[in-house]
Amino acid sequence: MYQYNAFDQRFVEERVEQYRDQTNRFLAGELNENQFQQLRLRNGLYVQRLAPMLRIAVPYGTFTATQLRTLAAIARDYDKGYGHLSTRQNMQVNWPQLEAVPDILARLAAVQMHCIQTSGSCIRNVTADQFAGVAADEVVDARPYCEIIRQWSTYHPEFDWLPRKFKIAVNGATTDRAATHVHDIGIRVRLDDDGARRFDFLVGGGLGRTPVVGKVIREGLPEQHLLSYLEAILRVYNRYGRRDNKYKARIKILVRAMTPGKFREQVDAEWEHLRGGPAQLPVSEVERIRAHFEHPPYEQLPDEAAFLAVERLQNRSFNAWMRHNVAPHRRSGYAIVTLSTKATGVPPGDVTDEQMDAVASWSERFGFGEIRISHEQNLVLPDVRQRDLKTLFDLACEAMLGQANAGLLTDMICCPGGDFCALANAKSIPIAEAIQRRFDNYDYLHDLGPIDLNISGCMNACGHHHVGHIGILGVDKRGEEFYQVSIGGNQADDASLGRILGPSFSRADVPDVIGRILDVYVEKRSDGEIFLDTVRRIGVEPFKQRVYSTQATVHAGSSRPKTVAARLHTGGGPPAPRIEKTVRAG
Amino acid sequence: MLVKAPPKRPERAGAAAATPTMVADRWALVEQGPARPGQIAPLEAWLESPAGAGVWVEGDAPVEDVAPRLIEAPVVAVRFAAFADGRGLTFGKLLRTRYDFGGELRAFGEIVPDLTEYMYRCGFDAFVLANRRQAQAAIACIQRMSDHYQGSFRQPLPAYRRFAEQPQGAVARHS
Repeated sequence: MYQYNAFDQRFVEERVEQYRDQTNRFLAGELNENQFQQLRLRNGLYVQRLAPMLRIAVPYGTFTATQLRTLAAIARDYDKGYGHLSTRQNMQVNWPQLEAVPDILARLAAVQMHCIQTSGSCIRNVTADQFAGVAADEVVDARPYCEIIRQWSTYHPEFDWLPRKFKIAVNGATTDRAATHVHDIGIRVRLDDDGARRFDFLVGGGLGRTPVVGKVIREGLPEQHLLSYLEAILRVYNRYGRRDNKYKARIKILVRAMTPGKFREQVDAEWEHLRGGPAQLPVSEVERIRAHFEHPPYEQLPDEAAFLAVERLQNRSFNAWMRHNVAPHRRSGYAIVTLSTKATGVPPGDVTDEQMDAVASWSERFGFGEIRISHEQNLVLPDVRQRDLKTLFDLACEAMLGQANAGLLTDMICCPGGDFCALANAKSIPIAEAIQRRFDNYDYLHDLGPIDLNISGCMNACGHHHVGHIGILGVDKRGEEFYQVSIGGNQADDASLGRILGPSFSRADVPDVIGRILDVYVEKRSDGEIFLDTVRRIGVEPFKQRVYSTQATVHAGSSRPKTVAARLHTGGGPPAPRIEKTVRAG
Repeated sequence: MLVKAPPKRPERAGAAAATPTMVADRWALVEQGPARPGQIAPLEAWLESPAGAGVWVEGDAPVEDVAPRLIEAPVVAVRFAAFADGRGLTFGKLLRTRYDFGGELRAFGEIVPDLTEYMYRCGFDAFVLANRRQAQAAIACIQRMSDHYQGSFRQPLPAYRRFAEQPQGAVARHS
């Protein structure tokens, strides 16, 4: 993984002092609230409902055991002993005092970490496939390009004061685990017939109030043009993106207003000025960065499938964990392990300082001291010897990190919601917990197979509800919290946005609504068909009918079917206008 | 209060950044024409009578259209309508690098000291701050970070292109 050189180290150290000075000037009254807000946001510091929240950058979700231990110590010393994994593969701590943030930054800088550009209208942490570098289906390792883009975008003189936040994701595997369709820029790296690396650019994807799937504006760009082409896109956006209305300021609105064809023409015209200039990326620089990501000293190990088969026969939960949480590694005898943070009763993505310390030590004991954060808010150990999997599983279970639910219904993406976030319309964590409690039968979950359930507490869509196979959105109706449910969204290669079923539900009804949706799936699915494919085949209508039926009973996740129709808010007047707006926008 | 940075010098590896200083402003910015010598006038007034006068434009002015004339001006001032509005940065960068403007490039409007660092790197060399204290802060802000990753107007080469010349490529490992 990337190691700082003297330049990088000096940069983050100077940054600490710069931020300390900004904090001091704010406390001395030399910067007003609005001015300091812009500066602290570029340092990931939000003033939240209860207290500040600090978002720490974990570039493309990759960090070391040492760095994770530092985060554990920060969680202990400045938070209440836990951190929260975000969907941008970062870690957030709550309750740090504003005055203490410069000291936290100094502790981070000592282990080559920072909070630069984790918030604000600038280029945010570049995200990648959490399995980059180790996935069996990888074509090109995305991490060197993420690091090149990280360096290029850090304190960019021209592009740090954009109309709105700007998110870039890079994917280099056959399966898109980086959600490139729903980023301001999604980059796909692949090899052409001659083995040369080529880049496809999707632009204008995004969630939020106006969810849009990105459009391809350039295919097959050669490597040396990566940064000049990015510069051209950012310049067109910086000049022409709307600044009068923050809800219409993302690049997706600009691309739509101009049309993707015209937008591409503008970018190409700008790029003509840049190609071949100082922004050209030399092979030597790509090689310098790539050298940081050379494979660790793997042992020559046999594939342990036969040995593991015995363990799997003897232990059903281990078998389930192997099936859902262990992914194939590119090296024989190794595996990629997803440690699920989605234990029932725990807010999705929350990890305690003790869990962080434990994961750090496992990463050293079973691998090479490296850990990843997935955008599904789980921790990943990328290099586990297959023969150690059972030992790791047992340790993970003791630490509440052994849930065999990766990719299943209860592996939800969930924003912090109204419990923490000042923007939220509704709470999201209690919804996640109610669903986890209701559907806690592993046999049932495994029978259901892969289902992405995503929950956002407001239209800003931090919980990616639009691209959940099932999406739940918290809405505010005259001061009361309600929840809108959509189905059919998907974040992967054939990305799609979910369709809203209809009027929203009270919090208490959400588990039953999910149950009814699952009942329809179980009844209608054909052999081996996953939930998303059933929705795509039969459409939304059968689900809609069941959910709003006054007759149906719910079977899913309940030992005793019960009738809940009377409590559904189907006849409770028209939905609030803002819900209607979202329907149209989609 | 005007802060002025020395003009860009030929690049030398390891050259110390030239220090910006507070100076007396010999220009007067006017909201309306006609433009007179010694004044910085709005674009239309300046186009009519440019002799001896400077010109000011909004940060979102179409640089392609105005640059061919602007480059004759002794001073071009760019108004930053809001603190976080980065359009003037692109305007300045293009005027300097694509149209080779060699006069004074001045930032005025909503100028917070911390933004002058970005402006400086995009080619601005004069900054209008609200008062003396803000001007002092701006001078410190411009110099605080000793280097950056990407190329800029002041330092066209990205940092990695300079690693080879300096013994700083060594890896700083944390254990």
